[in-house]
Parts: sequence; C-alpha cells; structure tokens
Amino acid sequence: MNPIWTLLLIALPLIGALMVAFGREDRAYGAAMRTMLVTLIPAAVMLWYFDFTLGAVHQGAASVKWIPDLGIKLSIGTDAISLLLIVLTVLLGPIVIAASKTAIKEDRRKYYAWLLVLQAAMVGVFAARDLMLFYICFEFTLLPMFILIRCYGSTNRVAASTKFFLYTFTGSMMTLAGLIYVVYFVAQQTGTWTLDIATLTAIAPRMPVEHQAWVLLAMLAGFAVKVPLFPFHTWLPLAHTEAPTAGSVILAGVLLKLGTYGILRFAIPITPDAFIQYAPALGVLSVIGIIYAGLICWVQEDIKKLVAYSSVSHLGFCVLGLAALNVSGLSGSVLYMLSHGLSTGGLFLMIGFMYERYHTRDMRAVGGLASKMPVWTFFMIFFTMASVGLPGLNGFPSEVLCLISAFQSDASWSAAHEAGAWGTTLGPWFAVFAGTGMVIAAMYLLIMVGKICFGPLREPDDHHAHEELPTDLSRREIWTLIPLAVACLVFGLKPNLLLDAISDPINQTVAAATTSQQPPQPEHHIDQAEDHAMIEPTDTISNPMTEATP
Amino acid sequence: MINTTFLTSTLAMLQDGHAVDTHAPAVTHAATQIAEVGTGPKWILLIIGLPFLTSILCGIYAMIGNKTKLPAWTVVAGSGIAFLTTLAMYMSFDGTPYTVHAFDWIQVHFSSEGGDKSMIANFSFYIDTLTIYWMLFVTGLATLIALYASEYMSHDLGTSYCRFFGAFGLFVFSMACLVMGDNLLMLYLGWEGVGLCSYLLIGYFYKKPEAVAAAKKAFIVNRIGDLGLALGVYLTFVHFGSLEYAVLFNDPTLLGYIESAKTGDFSAIPRMAQWIPLLFMVGAFGKSAQFPLYVWLPDAMEGPTPVSALIHAATMVTAGVYLIARTYPMFLTSEYALPIVAWVGTITALLSATIAMAQFDIKRIMAYSTVSQLGYMFAGLGVLTPTGGVYHVLTHAFFKALLFLCCGAVMHGFAGQLDLRKLSGLRSVKGWGIVTLGMFIGCINLAGVPFTAGFFSKDTIIAEAFVTPGASMIGWILLFTAGLTAYYTFRVFFRVFTGPVEYHAGEEHHGDDGHDFHPHAPGWAVNSVLLTLTVCSIAASGLYFVGGNKDTHTKHYAQTMVMASTANYESPYSKHAIHAAHDSHDPNAGAGPRGTIDHELSMPIIGGDPHKVMYYVSAVFGVVGILLAALLQGPKGWQGLFIGGRTNAAECRMDPIARMCGPIPKMAENKWYVDEIYHMILVTPLRIISHIFHWIDKLLVDGLVNIFGFLPRLLAWILKPSQSGVLQGYAVSMAGGVTILLLVVFVIILQGGVA
Repeated sequence: MNPIWTLLLIALPLIGALMVAFGREDRAYGAAMRTMLVTLIPAAVMLWYFDFTLGAVHQGAASVKWIPDLGIKLSIGTDAISLLLIVLTVLLGPIVIAASKTAIKEDRRKYYAWLLVLQAAMVGVFAARDLMLFYICFEFTLLPMFILIRCYGSTNRVAASTKFFLYTFTGSMMTLAGLIYVVYFVAQQTGTWTLDIATLTAIAPRMPVEHQAWVLLAMLAGFAVKVPLFPFHTWLPLAHTEAPTAGSVILAGVLLKLGTYGILRFAIPITPDAFIQYAPALGVLSVIGIIYAGLICWVQEDIKKLVAYSSVSHLGFCVLGLAALNVSGLSGSVLYMLSHGLSTGGLFLMIGFMYERYHTRDMRAVGGLASKMPVWTFFMIFFTMASVGLPGLNGFPSEVLCLISAFQSDASWSAAHEAGAWGTTLGPWFAVFAGTGMVIAAMYLLIMVGKICFGPLREPDDHHAHEELPTDLSRREIWTLIPLAVACLVFGLKPNLLLDAISDPINQTVAAATTSQQPPQPEHHIDQAEDHAMIEPTDTISNPMTEATP
Repeated sequence: MINTTFLTSTLAMLQDGHAVDTHAPAVTHAATQIAEVGTGPKWILLIIGLPFLTSILCGIYAMIGNKTKLPAWTVVAGSGIAFLTTLAMYMSFDGTPYTVHAFDWIQVHFSSEGGDKSMIANFSFYIDTLTIYWMLFVTGLATLIALYASEYMSHDLGTSYCRFFGAFGLFVFSMACLVMGDNLLMLYLGWEGVGLCSYLLIGYFYKKPEAVAAAKKAFIVNRIGDLGLALGVYLTFVHFGSLEYAVLFNDPTLLGYIESAKTGDFSAIPRMAQWIPLLFMVGAFGKSAQFPLYVWLPDAMEGPTPVSALIHAATMVTAGVYLIARTYPMFLTSEYALPIVAWVGTITALLSATIAMAQFDIKRIMAYSTVSQLGYMFAGLGVLTPTGGVYHVLTHAFFKALLFLCCGAVMHGFAGQLDLRKLSGLRSVKGWGIVTLGMFIGCINLAGVPFTAGFFSKDTIIAEAFVTPGASMIGWILLFTAGLTAYYTFRVFFRVFTGPVEYHAGEEHHGDDGHDFHPHAPGWAVNSVLLTLTVCSIAASGLYFVGGNKDTHTKHYAQTMVMASTANYESPYSKHAIHAAHDSHDPNAGAGPRGTIDHELSMPIIGGDPHKVMYYVSAVFGVVGILLAALLQGPKGWQGLFIGGRTNAAECRMDPIARMCGPIPKMAENKWYVDEIYHMILVTPLRIISHIFHWIDKLLVDGLVNIFGFLPRLLAWILKPSQSGVLQGYAVSMAGGVTILLLVVFVIILQGGVA
C-alpha cells in the first residue's frame, strides 16, 4: 500500500480548508462537501489495497526526518485497527457536513474550514507512527473542536468550550510528561533518541514496575479524561449539549475514541505490568461509570444531555474490555469504538434534526413526534435499538465480547481452559455489574423514545414550521442517516468483517502485554538500570539539550 | 449407583461415545442419536427468510403509501408458506437432528497458551423434534392470526396497517430465530427480537399514554430477565467453551455433570456450572411472565388483540419454556434450579389465578390466565416432566389464542367494550354463533373439563408433582388453582355469553346516542379463523392418544417429540410410580436427582398410580369450579337448575358474597398491589438515587473540577502584586530563581549525578 493515500487523507482536508477559508461564503458548504467526498476515494483505495492477512503490520509506512537530533520523524503507517478508525472518521466527514447545511447560517467559511482541519488532525492521530506527530495531532483536535463549540454552540457555549479545552488539555499535558519519560527511558536503554512508536513500545516495558505505574498514571490522566472515564467525565455532557450537531457527532464518533485508542496503543504496550496491576481499578471505575452515568441519564429532561451521559455509560464497556486485557476484551473494545461512533453518532444526528425544527432539547416541551415525523421516528427507534445493543445491530457483538472478557479474565471460572491463559485482571462480578448497564440503558433510552416519539403530540408554544425544512426529514437528511443505518445493520450481522480484520493486531497486543519483560530479579535489575542510566548512556547519546545549553 | 430403570431414562445423548462407555448397552434402544448432527437442506431457510421478507415488503408498502390490505395478504402468504415449509421439514425429518447454515455471524478466535479456542455463533439453525414441534404451532398460528388481523385491523388501513404487519412479520422471523437457532447467541437474538416486536406492537396505539407505558414496561422488565439470560450464555461459553447446541450438549464435561446430578450428587459439579441454569431461569421468568417479573404481561393487553393472542398468549411467552426445555440437561446439573422453577411456576399460577378471579376486563382475565397457565408449564418443567410442560404449551397455544381472538371479536364488535358487567347474552345475538362456540370450546379446555386437551396436558403436570419427592405441596396448590381456573373461566362465559341480551358500547363508539349502537358481527376472515382454531383445540386432545412410539416407550405425540430432542428426560420417580402400581413391591429403589426413590412418596393420594388417579381428582376440581361459576355468575333459571340467578349484565349472586369478604376482592382486583409495591421498593428508590447521582455529578464531581480550574486563578491573584512593573522586584525574584537553580545543581552534583 502506497503511503501517498494516507498522506492524501491528511492533505486533502487541509487543502480543502484553505479553499473554503479563502473562497466565497455561499460556496463554503459545497466546497467542504466536495472535499469530504473526495477524501472517500483515498480511504476506499486504502481499504482495497490493505493486506488484512498482515493486519498487525503497519502498512503504507513512510517516514521523513524532521528533527534528527531528537530522533523526531514524520512517520505514518496504518495497521488494521487504525485503518478502520480512519475509515470511520472519513465516513463521518460528509455526513457531518451534510447535517450542517441548514443548521449553520452564519460564518460558514470558518465553520467548514475548521471541520476540515479537524478531519485532517483526526486522521493524523490514527496514522501517526511517531510520538511527536501523534501528540501534535492529538492536541490539535482540541482547537477546531473548541472553535466549533465556542462560535457555533448554543446558549452556554463559552463555559462549555472553556471547560472542554482546559480539562482535556490539562490531562494531555500529563500524558505528555509520561510519554517524555518513556522516551527518556528508551533513550537510556538504546543509546539513541527516538520517538518511533514501535521502538518505544518494544523497549519501554523493561521499565521497572514502579516507574511503569507512574507513567501509566500520567498517560491515563490524559486518556481517561478523553474517554471520558468516571469521574473525569463532567466536561462531556456540557460540551455535547452545547456543541452544534456536527460537533457532537464527531465528538462521540471519533474524539472520545482517541482516549481508548490511546490506552490500547500506549498504556497497554508501554506499561503492561503496571496495567495488569491497575486493571481492576480501571475496571471498577468503568463499571461505576456504566451504572452511575446510566442512572443519571434516567432523570435527564434534556435529550442531548441524556445521549451525552449515555456515551459515558457506553464507553465504560469499552474501557472494561481493555481492562480485561484478553483477546475478547480488546476485540470487543475496538469493535465498541467503531460501533458506538455509528449508533451514537446517529442519535446525535436525529436530535440535531429535531432541534433544527423545534429549537428545544427539552423533552417536556416537545414529544409525541411519531404522528408528525414518522420517518424521523423510524430512524430514532433504529439508532436507539442499536444503542441498546439489540442483537443483529452493531452494538451487540461488542457488548457480548466486553462482558465475556470480564468473565474470562478470571481463570478460575473457566473449567475448560487452563488457568492463566486468559489473564486474571477482572472477574465475573465485573460482568454482572456491568451487565446491569444493559438494563439501565434499555430503561433510559426507551423512556426517551417514549417521551420524544410517542404519546400525544407536544410542540413548543411559539413553534412555527421551518422555512426551509419539511415537517418530516428531507431527502438530504435521510441520506445522511442511511450510511450510518446500513453500517449498523451490516456490522451487526457480519461483525466478523471487523473482527477478522482486527484479530491480528489484537492478538499481538495481548501476547506482548501478557508476557512480562521484567527480568526474574526485579530489585537487582533496578540497580542495574540505574547504573546503566547514570553512567553508560551519557557517552553514547547525542544529547541535544546538553549540547545546546553551553 | 445407577440402576437399570434409571438407564432407560438416560439422556439419549449419553450414547455419545466418550460419555459413559460402560452403560452404553443399556441405552441403545433410545430413540435417536442426538450426537450425530448432520447438515440439512437449504430450503429450510425459507422459514426464516420469508417472514423477514414480508416485513421488509410491508416497509416498502408504507413508503409507497399503500392503502389496501396488501400488507396483510403478504404476511398471511409469507407465514403460510413458512408453515407449509415447516410441515415439509416435519415430514422429511428422519429422526437425526441436523443443522442448516445460513451465514457466519460472530466468530472470535482466541490464540492463547491453552491452545486455540473459538467462539462460534453463526446464523445457523438446529432442527430436531423440539424445534419442529414449536415451529409447527408458531407458523401455523401466525398464519391464522395474520388472517384474523387482516379484518381486525382494517379500520386503519394505510401506514399504520403496514406498520402493524411489518412488525408482525418481524416477530415471526425473530421467533423462528429463537426456536431454530443452533446456538445460544442466536436464541438470544431471537429473544431480543421478539422483545422488540412486542414493544412495537404493544405500543401500536402510540398516542395512548397507557399503551406507551405498557410497551416500555414490557421491554424494561424483560430486559431484567435478558440480563440473566445473557450472563448465563456468557458463562456457558466461558465454562464449556461452546455455544452451539450440537457441541455443547455433547460436551464430555456437561455429560459428566449430568451423570452425577442424576444420582443426586451435586457436590461433584462446580458452582459456576450450577449458576448457569439459575441465570437462564431469570431470563425465562422475564419472557414468560413468571413471578416476580410477570407484571408486564397484563399491561401488554394495551396492544391490538391479535398481538395479544399471538405474542402474549400463544408463542412469545412460551419462549421461556422453550429455553428451559432446550437446555434441560443444564438444568439437571443444578441442585436448586428446577425446584425453584417448580415453585415459582406454582406461586405464579396461584397468584395470577386469584387476580383473574376479581378482574372485570375480559382481556385482562385472559392475560392473567395466561400467566397462570405459564406457571403450570414451569411447574411441569420443575417437577421433572419436560413432556408435561411442553405438551401444555401446545394445547394452551391453541385454546388461549382462540379465547383471545374471541375476546377480540367481542371488543371489535362492541366498540372496545371489554367489561363483563356491561355485556350479557351474546350467544343470542345474531351473528355471534361461531364466537360463542369458540369461546365455549376455549373455556372447557382452559377449565380442564375431562377429555379436553387442556385437561390432559394439565393433568400430566399435576400427576408428576405428586410423584416427585418434596413436590406434593406443589401438586395440591396446582389442583386448587385448577379449580380457581375453572371458576374464573366460566365466570367470563356465563356472564358474557349467557343470560339476557344486554350490551353497552365501549369507549370507541362515537355515536351521539348510546342507544343507537349496533354491534357488528365478525366477518368471514375472523369467523373462519375462529372455526379453525376451535377444531384445532378439540383435535389437540387427540394428540394425547396418538403418536406414541413403542421403541422409545413414549405414550403420546408430545412425549415422542420431546424424548427425541435435547429435552429428553424422564423422571425416575414417574417410572417408579407406574411400576409400583402394578406390583406393590419395590424393585427399583435407587437415587434420583431429588433424593431417594421412595415407595410411599409415589402413592400420595389413593393406593394407585397417581397418573391414573389424577384424572378423577382434577376432573372433580374442574367441575366444581364450573358449577360454582354457574351458581354464582350464571343467569337466572339457566337450564332450570339455578333459580334466582343473574337477571341483568351488571349484577350477579357473587356480589353479596364479595361484599362479605371485605377488602379482599378489591385487593385482588387491584392485583394485590404488586405494581405499587414494586414502585415503592424499586422504582422510586432507584429514581431518588438517580437524582442524587445527578446532583453529585453537578456539585461534587464537577465541583471538584471547577475548584481545580479555579486554582490557577487563585494563584494568579496571589502572585498579581509581584507583577508590579517595579524593576527591583523582578531583580530580586530573578536572583532568587538563580539561587534555587544553583542549589538544585549543587545537590545533584553532590549525589554524584552528572558526570
């Protein structure tokens, strides 16, 4: 696979952003839409040429020296997991643009330009094979989203955007600190500075467990806020509620996954021993999040806030799968990342379409829409069911795998398999408590559907028909939903399209994480490592910092 | 410690080579070899595919704005062909179970140190006699009820009509997946699918808040059960390493467990394996509306009557029975699962029968009666007779569907009137003959009048309760409940169909004057369906006398079908009782899953085989119930037997008795306040907790974040004076900074750090 396609995926939206920014206001939508549609082509080509039999290999790799002294390169490459996440991102692109057509009326150039920049940054995160590039893109997703919320959000947008930015930024700074330590440690070990992710993940697990724990904590500080994991979730409901529809869809569809992707790509491979040690704590937090956020959903009157909290609850399953640290858990988790983007993205679109017509998100003011908007109701129920985890739709396989993984990860419960083969981080109780999330999800989502779709028609007093939009969904709106709905159905019926693709990298990650690289006598080793760090490397490392200071 | 009697009742699958080789000769005459699972012809997939296709077609009709009865005919045709295909499947079945593969669904491969393992759950279908048995009445009834609904729903042709039949088709598809799926995840898919269709169809009249609330309640209460089922399925996979019936029920580990269970030695079975049936059981209680999860079913009557008949009486609610029958080997491995199933079924049967006695809405009475009859089925499964439970499913499906459809015809004809105090003497109204006949046949079945199908199937269950150790109390309660059942069933019949003609229009009547109301008698579609079901209900009793198999020692059709499936189990106590009746000595004493076989226990009533004695005893209970109903609810001078009976629709001789009982009838009418109690102890506290969480989230969790966010500002406020712009100040702080830096460097050098 030629790296040019990946580069195109990053470059095209940026070029498009420039064209939109310096083009005419009334053509902004068209230009943005065309750019997004064009980016589908390289994504399709990548899918076509990607060799899934070598799913764990980063294909289409390319690398350009950037700051050679520090070993910083611009290197890209995609394995199966990142490829699928990139495809999800690219797929959501035209959808969010189409969903903004009538919703955004002012300052369109700025809006669409930043959406395109955001797209490039998100692809960059998944494609990066160099820590610096990863981190830059990771942080750069914040700025466009901040602007989208700040300038195009609803009433409380200033507070929401500020909290979103500061909270996630603070978290990421700690992640950065942790990663810098990892780079430093690897440099000590190998004698050369490198930010190559593959090298880092290969060497870093040699860190003593106590160091790993701190690094893990630092990394989780950023990733857990991003996921968001209980109790670091309070920015999300606010940001979701205030963001424009496109912002919410991207936030739920892709940005939250950066957190779980980070855990999968960095926390687990770099600090496996500490991760195994702290996985039960992580599991407990996710289970609390599942139940706690689910119950909060139940008492929400703001429909968008409800779906936002449901994201917190759902992402709990995702982290639970990661914490189980076995094949089913990680597969389930990656599957969850993909499918949650589709179903919750769909729900946010539905809410957006409703909001455009009624200008309220309060379920007390608007409801019983089934008689007025049957097509809207159909899709609403469809995405709700996908979200509830109805078998046959996309949410189910991932939920099954995440819960099974929690069972499996306590070896004493599986008579048919040798102990130790599954990892021993969680246990059946995690599955039982997380499972109650299934019931709670059905409860709040069906109550939501009951209020908003069924019952006698309720409309706000000052409601009058939208001048551009028909009563029920327009053709454009239906076409934004159909790709998501089809994807929900296809991946519900053929989850193996994804599962087979990701099985290689997952198996490798699990195998690498569960075989400890700690030498037999850890105490002795620490001394050695310290000696190693103190004396040997200073000669061999070309340390630019020391060179620069005199 | 296994005696020969026991071995004849050994699960046929024990023939699987590696199970118990030494006992192999003793079981060779069992009917089929479950172990051999072949692959079947692809045309079987029509049973799954056609209903799904009809559902999609109905969606297309809705999109193109069809306003005819086309959706109904599509679904009737789809279900009808599915039924014919099922018949063909039945005819061509040669006794060897087989699977049919549609496409791969979920396959996860684990490569671990313990070797490569796979979780395989495909869109495949497992065909054995149990599947065929279930699918025959599911597709058959679906066809009939779709035909009935084509007329019944004709008042809202158009989008709603399409919506109704779309969901109907989807239901048949989901039910087929549930029953035919060859693995537990497919069963779960169907399980959730029928739940969704039930939700959509209960909420069919979505502008009615009660309907919406009922739909929601059904789905959520079911989900509690589903959680149990889901956890059970996951645990099954984790413990046995497979979800496919063909592999799972031949798993040597499972067979070993069953072997120890059959001698009552449960200590040899790991605790987690014993948890699996307990979890399945919770799922079954939810779907089949058993105590304490039964509360959704009576409310589900808000849906259109055909839906109540098909989904909430005949097919979907029996899914729990199917689940337990299908996984009966696993239920045997748990010490507590089957006794709990038996007791829960019994309690449910009694509780809902008492509620049914006090209701006035005839559809609700039928709903509670469904809950009660499902209780019988569970009790049957629990007292070690899967045959009894499964046989009752079939007979109940016919007569309960018939009863519901009759009630529906009444409701339809009298503008929504369902109150038995406002209807009387319908048998004398012109055009209601077939409905009256259908109702009568349904009622005698439900009441257990001798020689009806309901009588035989209910009897099997009660008799087994008396031979199973420790279950005779269950038997007595079920007998008593049978009396209550006869009473409330004929209460409806005597009140609504006999006596002076009197009727009041229901709330759906929009005429200016109530007196101008003319009921409209059912048309040909409804009448023909009622007639067919009446014939079926009568014919079902014949199944008790035909279809036995000499080779496998089965006595009737249902038993033959059950014994050739995975539910193949015959209670050793039952066998013993039959033997003991012939020769009074005790030739086969031994152990069973519920303790030692006891000669005395097998003869609890009169010194004969309980299976025989029970015919007379239960007949007495049934007849007494009917006579009481006639006496208390019957019309004046009916057949010259009862003088001074009911002379109008509203009052009967029960009324003064009810008044004497104080608050009890009122409490029963209010369903013993179970809903209110649930609200008080579950819903309200949970809602309060949710509100508390909401505030915690707002104030505490977010508050802490805000405090952290405020810290920099606080720091800035403290440090603001230092940014005075006075040069000396900057110089001082610079000096201080340099000093600290130097100190740090000094300390590092002292420790020998930087070379």
